[in-house]
Amino acid sequence: MKKNDNNKLIDNTAEDEFNLEKMEKETEEMLKLRFLTKENSVFARTEGGFVSLKIGDEFYKRVLVYRVFPFTNPEGYISIREPDEKAKEIGIIKDLRNDVTKETREMLEEQMRLRYFTPVIEKIIDIKDEYGFAYFDVVTDHGPCRFTIHMGGSSVVYLSDTRLMITDLDGNRFEIPDITHLSAHELRKLDLFL
Amino acid sequence: MRGSLVFTALSEENIMDIKKKLPNGVLKFLSGYQVKSEDIITYANTDMTLEGEFARGYIILTQNKLIILRSEPDKSEVYQFKGYGSKNELDIRSEKKWAAKYISIKEIDRLEVIRSISGGVLYYSEKKEGLESGPDIQLASFTNMMIGAVLHIVKLFSILKEKGELTEDSIKMEEKEEYCPKCGSMYPDKERKICPKCMDKKSIFLRILLYFKPFIPKIIIMILCYIVTAGLNLIWPYMSGKILYDKILSQNAEFLESLGIPGINYIIALGLVVLVMFLTRITIQVLGIIQGVMTATIVPKVIMKMKSQVFQTMGELSISFFNSRQTGGLMTRVLRDAERVTGFFIDGIPYLIINIFTIIATAIVMFQMNWKLALAALIFVPIIFTISFKMMPKLWHFYGRRHRAERSMNSRLNDNLTGARVVKAFGQQDSELKRFDKNNQRVRSAEMSLVNFDNKFFALYVIFENIAMIMVWGFGSYLLLNQSHMELGILITFTGYVQQLNGPLDFMSYAFRWFSDSMNSAQRMFEIIDAIPEIREKPDAVRMNTMEGNIELKDVTFGYEPHKPVLKKINLKIEAGKMLGIVGRSGAGKSTLVNLISRLYDPQEGEIYIDGINIKDIAFKDLRRNVAMVSQDTYIFMGTVAENIAYANPEASFDKIVEAAVLASAHDFICKMPEGYDTVIGSAGRNLSGGEKQRISIARAILADPKILILDEATASVDTETEKAIQASINFLVKDRTTISIAHRLSTLRDADRLVVIDNGEITEEGTHNELVEQKGVYYKLKELQTKALAMRGID
Repeated sequence: MKKNDNNKLIDNTAEDEFNLEKMEKETEEMLKLRFLTKENSVFARTEGGFVSLKIGDEFYKRVLVYRVFPFTNPEGYISIREPDEKAKEIGIIKDLRNDVTKETREMLEEQMRLRYFTPVIEKIIDIKDEYGFAYFDVVTDHGPCRFTIHMGGSSVVYLSDTRLMITDLDGNRFEIPDITHLSAHELRKLDLFL
Repeated sequence: MRGSLVFTALSEENIMDIKKKLPNGVLKFLSGYQVKSEDIITYANTDMTLEGEFARGYIILTQNKLIILRSEPDKSEVYQFKGYGSKNELDIRSEKKWAAKYISIKEIDRLEVIRSISGGVLYYSEKKEGLESGPDIQLASFTNMMIGAVLHIVKLFSILKEKGELTEDSIKMEEKEEYCPKCGSMYPDKERKICPKCMDKKSIFLRILLYFKPFIPKIIIMILCYIVTAGLNLIWPYMSGKILYDKILSQNAEFLESLGIPGINYIIALGLVVLVMFLTRITIQVLGIIQGVMTATIVPKVIMKMKSQVFQTMGELSISFFNSRQTGGLMTRVLRDAERVTGFFIDGIPYLIINIFTIIATAIVMFQMNWKLALAALIFVPIIFTISFKMMPKLWHFYGRRHRAERSMNSRLNDNLTGARVVKAFGQQDSELKRFDKNNQRVRSAEMSLVNFDNKFFALYVIFENIAMIMVWGFGSYLLLNQSHMELGILITFTGYVQQLNGPLDFMSYAFRWFSDSMNSAQRMFEIIDAIPEIREKPDAVRMNTMEGNIELKDVTFGYEPHKPVLKKINLKIEAGKMLGIVGRSGAGKSTLVNLISRLYDPQEGEIYIDGINIKDIAFKDLRRNVAMVSQDTYIFMGTVAENIAYANPEASFDKIVEAAVLASAHDFICKMPEGYDTVIGSAGRNLSGGEKQRISIARAILADPKILILDEATASVDTETEKAIQASINFLVKDRTTISIAHRLSTLRDADRLVVIDNGEITEEGTHNELVEQKGVYYKLKELQTKALAMRGID
């Protein structure tokens, strides 16, 4: 009943293109999640190494692939976004393991590999703490790395009781998935942060 | 254009520069493809393949080509990131096999970087006939360490494409890594040229000593006291051992003669000895009191000086410093570290000196009395000292750990107390307690491991001390039985000395620990004291007593994190005395813009001018006095209402204070408070509502009487009626001054002379209210939405 009143008001004042109803519809759309599945969407590799997406009559020649819970749920809630700066969301894949085909899953994971590039530390050779900085000398699954972190800020973050995320001076990330797998000797080096 | 030099005339020096850095192997490889080194404009290193493996590569920009070089991933190679490695180590392996991709610049339509979490991907699209450009094609990927150089190439490319040539100015890249001249390793922070590797603990130690310089006379008295005490301590066992047993109890006549009192009763001699012993004790006590008094006068002064120095530097540091650190952690530094540092210096060092002195003197005396016994008693001392030295790094470690545990506990506490309202509202006291306990446990375990370690340390010392004692007794008794010239008194004196050594030795076990603690804290303190604020006043800053209030922004680009611009190439001119309204979505960069004008941050590119003078050249004092900001997060300091209003000008008269409060519509509610303008507000005092706080901050800005007034959502939390009142006062206020007002509520900006709409870091619309409404853009949409929203509720 009230809605009718509102509509009347709008008719009186908005003689021009302004359309409250259209705007409300847009707002409503903003509040809704669109879930992408193998039924409603087709992902394909592009020749330039990216991924394109077709949903119904919408076509995106390149999309961005984001994780919504990169640490706690890396295979669930994958957000697909437009490639421009605003990166508006196109839709979400709720479960990468079941909602899309194996090929799609692989190509999306390829895209995310670069975005979430995080070498996993397999061996700690040395950690030196000097005047507000810590120097790491480690071996990762991508080969040996040496990097430096700030001691003051939040460079070392516990993702869980045993999982560590280390961020270097430039914002490069390194991960220790389970500190209990480290040797006693390595743990002692890491002691600085435990 | 300034210094407009066509790139072909690249200076000799520049060619040298490029040659020096691009490894010979790469240059040779390029020459095989007819790329001459003098054609190379600039290059960037890359360190990843597109598949996400580490591999070396280059992005090279020549005058007409973009060349991508990439090697095979090599897992045996060590990848060094920022802060690690030294100058000489860079590009050691250039004899790689390269895969190359050449693209003619003419063919490239767009060249861009997609940022990822730890780096980025460079891609391009080809020019095609018609409007559509070709598909986006990935070229190279790299970690964050390289991104600055890659973005520079992208920028050069766009200039080259647009203008067809490059000036030498634009080729120069500002951000070059800097290296420590001493050891050649990279500075982790190029703003603060301190090499963590060259900064040793010795120099920290010497720096702290400087704090004690003003107290040299007192310190000399203290040291004298210590030396005399040490000397007297030596006499004690000698009296109670050798003199008592061997001279008096054994009735040694020669001894009495040597004292010049031959033939007197031994009882009197005994009395004399007792008297001397008694006086010795008394003197030691008195000296102890004197040095205690000295300590009490020196320590608090040094601690105070250190604390205020840390506080002072913190005050000078830029906002970004505080944004990147936890308040609780900073508090730990100011409050605890200074105390820990001085503790060792004032109590520790003198005792250390005296104890070392005692140990050496005792050793000498012992060796003179009987070298065999002395050897037996002292043989372990060098051993435990060596062990102690070896254990030092470990202690250092433990203290660092305790500090971090304390810091995170403090931060947690701070967080919790600040958010007490939310915790209560959501009934999360229990879970907060659990989280706090976790931190608390960490502090406990850090402290426990310290104590454990310390106990081991101490046990080691005690064991050695006891062994030494047993050896002296055993070996001494053996000598006494077998050798005629060994006397009982000597043995007793010896045991006295060994016992006396226990004190200094126990102290040494403690001193190592104490020293580590102190140096560890000192290091953290100096970290702050040495920090260089990002925003600095120029030494020859321009004094501006009066400002007109003309503001101009030229091509201003700024981001809180490097390479992530929040504002892009903003150009804006505000005439003196006019009011500018800024509208835009939240997160569009409105507040950032005014933060730059008040110079809380400096733009990364472009300049800001006030009255034609670059704000980087204006003296802080004048800038701050002439630019006042009322921001969306108001802050009320501990103090009275009057003090808060007069914050920028503590000498303000009652008239001025009341006038400012009236103009800010604050007078009314202030008068209603029981103590009026003398009511204590802020964290320790009376609670104010959001609107009341905001009105006090407005009054504060009014009283400051700035030439440039910035209102950043200044009336967001007041009711409509009050807003109208404040609006009226602002109308009065904006006369004769430049005003920049940010607001979501467009009604607030009704009186603005000009309005700009900021979206995504760029100015998208600009003009008067009427012009913008006619443009039918974002502003129009917002305006309509707001009037409609009000209309819907039957207001307006």
